[in-house]
Formats: sequence, C-alpha cells, structure tokens
Amino acid sequence: MFIRLQQKLKNQGTPQSSKNIALLLLAAILVCVSFSLFASILIWILLLVACAAVIRGAIYYNYYRHLPSIRTLNLLAVLSILGLIYSALSDGLLFGMVNLLILACALKLMQMRSQKDVYQLVISLFFLIGCGFIFNQSIGFSLFYALMCMALLLSLACYHAPSNTMHKQLKTVSILSLQALPIGLLMFLVLPQLSPLWHTPKSKGAQTGLSEQITPGDIATLSQSSELAFRATFEDTPPIARRRYWRAIVMEDFDGKTWKVHAYRHKLREFQLKTKQQFKPKLTGPFFDYEVIAEPTNQPWLFALDIAVPADTQSRRNIMQSSDFLLFNRQPVVSKYQYAVRSYPEALANQALTVTDKQINLRLPETGNNRTREWVSNLRAKFQDNNKFVEAVLSHFIDNPFVYTLRPDVMLVDPVDRFLFDNQAGFCSHYASALAYALRLGGIPARIVTGYQGGELVENNGKSPYLSIYQYDAHAWVETWSDNAGWQRIDPTALVSPDRIEFGLQQAMLEEGSFLADSPFSLARLANIVWLNNIRLFLADIDYNWSRWVLGFNSQKQRDLFKSILGKLTPERLSILGVGIVFTIGMLLSLFFLPHWLQNRLGTTQHLYIKALHAFAKAGTQRANWQGPTAFSQHINEHYSHKVSDPFSQLTQLYLRLTYQKKQSTGTSVLSIKQCHRLMRGHLARLKTELLKSKA
Amino acid sequence: MDSYNLLNPPDTHYPMLHNKFAMAIEQSCQVLIGKQQQVKLALTCLLANGHLLIEDLPGMGKTTLSHTLAKVLGLEYSRIQFTSDLLPADMLGINIYDNNEQTFRFHPGPIFNQLVLADEINRASPKTQSALLEAMEERQVSLDGKTRLLPSPFFVIGTQNPMHQSGTYPLPESQLDRFLMRIQLGYPDKEAEKSMLKTQLGGVQHDVETVMSIADFIELQEAARRVHASDELLNYILRLVTFSRESNQFANPLSPRATKALLSSAKAWAFINNRDFIIPEDVQAILPAVAEHRLRSASSDFSSQGSLSKTLLEAIDPIAA
Repeated sequence: MFIRLQQKLKNQGTPQSSKNIALLLLAAILVCVSFSLFASILIWILLLVACAAVIRGAIYYNYYRHLPSIRTLNLLAVLSILGLIYSALSDGLLFGMVNLLILACALKLMQMRSQKDVYQLVISLFFLIGCGFIFNQSIGFSLFYALMCMALLLSLACYHAPSNTMHKQLKTVSILSLQALPIGLLMFLVLPQLSPLWHTPKSKGAQTGLSEQITPGDIATLSQSSELAFRATFEDTPPIARRRYWRAIVMEDFDGKTWKVHAYRHKLREFQLKTKQQFKPKLTGPFFDYEVIAEPTNQPWLFALDIAVPADTQSRRNIMQSSDFLLFNRQPVVSKYQYAVRSYPEALANQALTVTDKQINLRLPETGNNRTREWVSNLRAKFQDNNKFVEAVLSHFIDNPFVYTLRPDVMLVDPVDRFLFDNQAGFCSHYASALAYALRLGGIPARIVTGYQGGELVENNGKSPYLSIYQYDAHAWVETWSDNAGWQRIDPTALVSPDRIEFGLQQAMLEEGSFLADSPFSLARLANIVWLNNIRLFLADIDYNWSRWVLGFNSQKQRDLFKSILGKLTPERLSILGVGIVFTIGMLLSLFFLPHWLQNRLGTTQHLYIKALHAFAKAGTQRANWQGPTAFSQHINEHYSHKVSDPFSQLTQLYLRLTYQKKQSTGTSVLSIKQCHRLMRGHLARLKTELLKSKA
Repeated sequence: MDSYNLLNPPDTHYPMLHNKFAMAIEQSCQVLIGKQQQVKLALTCLLANGHLLIEDLPGMGKTTLSHTLAKVLGLEYSRIQFTSDLLPADMLGINIYDNNEQTFRFHPGPIFNQLVLADEINRASPKTQSALLEAMEERQVSLDGKTRLLPSPFFVIGTQNPMHQSGTYPLPESQLDRFLMRIQLGYPDKEAEKSMLKTQLGGVQHDVETVMSIADFIELQEAARRVHASDELLNYILRLVTFSRESNQFANPLSPRATKALLSSAKAWAFINNRDFIIPEDVQAILPAVAEHRLRSASSDFSSQGSLSKTLLEAIDPIAA
C-alpha cells in the first residue's frame, strides 16, 4: 500500500504531458535559435540553455523523472539576473535584453508544467526569432528562422494533438504555412512601410571593416578577408575600376608612425550630430546616382565615391556630410544598411581650404625619420615649384625598385625612412603614409584617405549593374592640396603596382601567391576554377537581390512599385489600388474557404432550426454550446410563456424527427419532408412574431 | 412530448413491451428510493447486453440494486463475495472424481448463472479478477481443456469500493474497459432517506415481483438494437470520440470499443425513453456512465478527475453539422 502511494506521488512529479514530443521540440528550437545568436550571447547563458534542453531530453527519454523545483529555479533566476546586470552594464542594453530573453526561455523550459507555461514559452520563442533578425538578415538566416517558426507551429500542433502521427502534423503545419505565404507576401508589399517608432538600442558589437588608425610599420602580414564590405547599384554604367575610390575615413594626424583621425574632426562631427548641421560642399560638374547596401560594421562610416551627397529623403534624414567630405550615419551601422547617394566626381577640386584644414594637414611630428627629412629638404631646394616637387617625390617610387607586397618586413623605428630607402616593399598604407609625410615635409598639405578601391562588377542580366566590394579591396591613398587645383587624389600604389588598381588585388598578387593566404578555402581565392567561381557569383547574386529587394524594401521602393503599377499616383488611383488589394486578399481567403462552405452548407432542416436559435439569441437566450435540442426546448419551456415555447417545441420535434429519425418511414399518417419543412416555417414565423411581441 | 408519435407511430408491438419495462423500473425504484436515474442506467446497461460496474462506498445499496434487478427481470442469480484468497476455481467450478461412476464430474461454480454479482471485485487477487473478466468477455469458461458455455443472457454486475480504500487491487484500464458502464449510487437525498427509514420501521418489506420472462427480455434487447441512429447522430458520437483523441486533456482517450459501447447504450437509453431513434440527449445521458471509467486525465491533479466526461460533453456542439 505504502509503496503504491509512493509511486502515485512519483507519477505526480512527471505528469503525462511532460512526455509530449512538443516540449522536446521547443527545447531543440531554443537551442538552435540561441546558437544562431552565438556571437552576442554570454557563454554561461548558452550553458543554461543546454542544461534546460538536456533536462527536457532526459525526462522525455525516461532517464530522469524530476523537474527542478520552483525554489531552485527562483534562486537560479536571481543569480542569473545579477550576472546579467553585471555584463549588460558594460555591453549595452540590446545585448542585455536579448540575453535576458534567452535566459527567461531557458528557465521556463526547465520549469514548464502547465499549458500556460507552454504558451508563454512559444510566444517568447516567436519574439526571440524576431530579435534574431536584428543580428542576422541574410537569406540563409531568414530561411533558418522561417524553418524555426514552422517548427514552433509544429510543436503547438503536437502539444494539442499528441496522438496524431508526425506525418499528419507536418502536413497540417506545411499547409498552414503555405496558405499564410501569399497573404504575408501581399501584406509585405502593400502595408505602409512605417519607419520604426523607436531605434534599436545601440549594441556594442565588435567593429569590423576599416579601422580609424593605421600603423603601416607594425604589420608583417596584412590580414585579408573575402567578406563582403558593401554593394553598389548603378543606374547607368559605373565608373571604370581606376576611378572607383570609395572614400570612408580621412586620417590627418601623424606622429611619425601612426595615422589617426584628427581629434578636431571628431569634435566637429559630434557638434554636427548635436546641432543637426550639415556640412555643404560646393557641388559642381557632372554627377551620377547609385545605391549602396552596406554590411554591418558597428561604425558610423559610410562608403561613397568622391564627393557624395545623400540623394533621397530617407538617406538625407539619417546621413551627415562632414567637413572632410565623408558621409557618416547618425547611428553606427549594426545591420545591413541601404542608402542612396549622388556623386560629383569633379567637385573635389573645387572645395575650399580653411585655415584649420591647412594647419592640420601640414602638421609634422617633431622628430624622427631624419633621412626622409634630409631627402625632402634637398628635393625642395632643387624644385621650388609645388607641382615639380610632387613629381620629383613620386618619381622616387618609379625610379627605385619598389615592390608591392602583402608580406612586408616589420619597420618599428623610423618606419618611413626604412620603407623609402631600405626595404622598398610594402602595401598601400606604406606608400600612402610615406608620400603624405614627404609632401607635408615639403610644405604641401596632404592627408591619407582610407576606404576601398575597385570592386567586382556584375552585369546583372541587363538590369542595373552592381559592384561587390569585399574586405580585401580595402585601400589607402593620399589627398594633397594644390592652390590652383584644389584637393587632388594621388595614389602612389598605382605607380608601383598598376595591376592592383586596374584589376584588383588578386591579379596583383598572382606571383607572390599571398592573396587571401590565411583563408585557403575561401571561394574568392579559388576564383580561377571556373565552375567554383560561377557558384560564388551565383551566391553573391542571390544575396544581392535579397538585400536590395527584401531588406531594402522601404517606403520609397513601395512608392516606386505603386508608380510602376499605376503610372501616376493620384488619390483615385491609390484608392482603386487599395480596394483592389483588399478584394484580392478577400478572394484568396474565400477561394480557400469555399470548399469548406460548400461542404458545410446546411440542409433546410438544420437551417430553419438554426434560424430559430438565432431568434432566441437575439432575444437574449443563447443556447449553451453543448446543449442538445430537447434540453434547449425544455429550457425555453421553463423560461418563456406558452405562446413562445409552443411553436418552438413543435419546431424542435419536427427538427428531431427529420434529423434523427429513420428517413424511409412508410405509412399514411407520415408527412412528407416537404410538408414537414412547411410546418417548420410556419412555426418559425409564429415564434418570431411572438418573440417580437413579448419584447414590445 | 408525444407529438412525434403522432408523426410516426412506433411498432404496434412495442407498447406492451414498453409497459413491462416501465413496470420493471417502477418496481426497482420502490426498493431503491430516489435512485431512478441510476436504476434506469443499470437497466439500460443490461438492455444493451453489457456488464455493469457499480462503484461506491460500503452501504450505499450496491448489492440491493443488483439483487433487485435480477429479481425484477427474472434472471437466475448468484453472488460471489470476492476476497483476497478467492481462487478462480471457487468461482468457475471444479472437476471432482465421482466414485460411483468412476469418472470426473464437473461441479459448476457460481458463475454459471444468468446474473452474477461479483461483490467487491477489487478485493480479489489479479488472477481471480482476470478469470472473471475473461468469462465476461468470451461468455464461456475453459476448464481442464473443455470449454463450457455460460448461460444466456449472461451479465456480471461488479461492485467495487473506491480505489483509495485500503486492501484493494485496482482493476487495470484494460479490464475496466470490459464493463459497459460504471455508475455510482451516491447518498440519497433527505426525503428519500426518511421514507426509507419509515418503510423499514413500519416493517413493510417491498416484495419485488418478476415482471417479464427471459424471452421477453431477449426480445426487448432485440428491439433496442433496432433503434435508429441517423448520420447526424453518428457524427456527433464520432466528434466526441475524436476530440478525446486529439485533445491534450486525456491521457487515455476513448477506444473503438468505447465508441461501440456509446452507440449501443444510447440505443438502449432511447428505447427506455420510448423512442425508436436516438437524439443527442440520449448520448449525453449515458456518456458519463460509459466513458468516465475509460478516460484518464492527462494532468496530474486529481481534482479534474471525475469531470472528464463533462469536459468532453461541453467541448462538442451536438447541433453543428
């Protein structure tokens, strides 16, 4: 007896529902989604998630019977929250919130006992999947999250109908998803694209891409990556490779080794952000328009050809122009970011040089690099004219056996001296740094601009062509001021390795073999193999179209779409479109429900009886859902006068007879079905009038 | 209420049989005062040719009910008191060597009767229980290699104390399923109990009369089987059963055997209520007795136990097509 009681208690610990496959599925979804956010989740929270999943698995497979007690979980929750607050303080709000959500899901998974818990977890997981899109929006991840959503639906189905086979469940869920697809698509295209009501809190993720300072002498091997930096779509033909200098960061502060963004520019930009003041360069000459889709960098810098201004309203609202002709975003770019710009390639020469600009761009470190100083002062003595002096400095790169390499020697002391006179081998930063320094020594304002150069042109089957610019296209060049010609771009790398500029890095590094040397399996490195390259280009193409048409679908694009359908946007046409869309959705829905309606269309008997029920519902007496006809008739007898209840009980009798009695009754006294229906109609009419009377 | 009889008069043969049945109910109710619903359910169960399980506390009239039923219907009756040391042979019978005839002769046990009261069935050991339940299902007994048919009709009325009473072996679900219905008698209301006391104090003993012959009873069973179930009604039963299988509230949903039990009981109930077709209320009336002991809740709290059939009924609309 005692043993049996114990068993009973044990069984109580693991209710039957905890054996449901749905809970296992939920655990799997949580694990998958949290690992997809691996980079922004704390390790110990991932461990908690894994623990929760293991507990669920153990219970499902009968290795273990007890859920952790509520007290244990509460203690765990308090400790975790403390830990989370500690890490969130340093890592930002968004980070903290996403971690909190995952933490909560993991604890809920451990605690899940009732139906309410399951619903809460399912809804939290849907929200978590939504959060996933803050971090990953690529087509692969979108498919993955869509799959996770379907898995969630599947788990709900399994939870509610545990005895159905998995095959049947899968079928139900796939049909549901397929039905939702066209309606979702239509809504995506048609619903107003409102800008978000609040911004996602700034995340402090790792910055990628270009850095705000370079120290050429310190680098022995330039690390390269084949990751995408950004894509640009041109309406017409894009400029040729030699002209494609994508400006991102300007460095004007040199201490003999390192070039940095000048503190003055930083301050100026902060001031601009606060006062929302745009710097307005003089815009002259021809221009062209294009759109850029930048990959997330967690930095505010944007990429554009000289000199660019934001072109559409949305871009104008978010993008600032700085005094060194850069574009920067109000917020760091944390997700794929699309903007439209217009470039004036000849405008750079027409800008003014302020006193401060001149000062900053002539500043030199006090000491160091003595050989260069000596060399420049000799040259300057020979060539008084600025242009001739610049030519003389450049000819140094041509006359000496300079080599373009990605594996230069380390130059720790007097890097410019070592580079110019001893090693004579380096990559773009070495050349740019040495040239800018030499020009400043000669009294010519000069600075380093970093960004990207070139890019891979994709023709895109007759549609607007686009460029893919990868991280290995990063480049640095020099800008000098000449009193007659304004700011001029000089790229010393072009003198040493014209291939780098004309054909890109891979071509330039053919002999050295150092292109993407640290990532041997990168598809870009294997571009020589034709079919592999085709695959790479195909993938890039899909990714491009995804970014441009799905992620970049904003109110502007929506308006363009409407325009392409309607021609001109007049209120009448818009309203016609609106009605048409509502009609289409309605049609889709009714097409889907039509077979159901046809199947469920009521027979006359049923119809008449239900009409009577509706009449009572209107009068305030609703039939309880489970009440049978006789029971309801009795209820009416008790609550209404004879005048009302008599016709109804007659009606009910006829209904019962027609619905439940044997159909092929014989005999003279038996009424035909038609006669019965006529009788029913009569009773119904009487019932209605009586009900109206009693109301009055 | 009788207006459908106007529209479609039932067989001319029925009224006499119906009268007999009404008398049977009346007679039984005189003994079990205030328990008309339970008496009707018990008769329904027998009419549907099913075995009945009565579950209640001691002293609630379980034995009285079964005794009365046997008497009223004129069935041969025997009672087996189940104890933990009862052996299958005590119940089924035994072969004994007859010295005179120099052969083994079979001495039938108490189970060879038309109505067997298996009192306190959950006190016996599982071995004995299963011997009884096998006899119930097969309506025959196999002993020493020879199969002997049980009399017809054959009914078992099992009574049992609620599970949590000490010294009981609860029947497993598979065996509970053999009983067509399980009913609970419950305490009588004040009025009924008072009149019970009065009759006993006055020394008046209701002598129950046998109201029908076995042939009548078998004919009644036949007639009950002919009660019509329309498609709409079958759909209602199927909706109920499907809900029990697809909802997550039931750990043990209803089996096809339970579906059949629902239909045959509903037919008998409709017949008792003087109708030759089933209406949804018939199903609703018998469902608690037929389904409750076959269902098991998925949640572990015992509070929801006992209202499972109610949950089931309230989830399904009998009128929806």
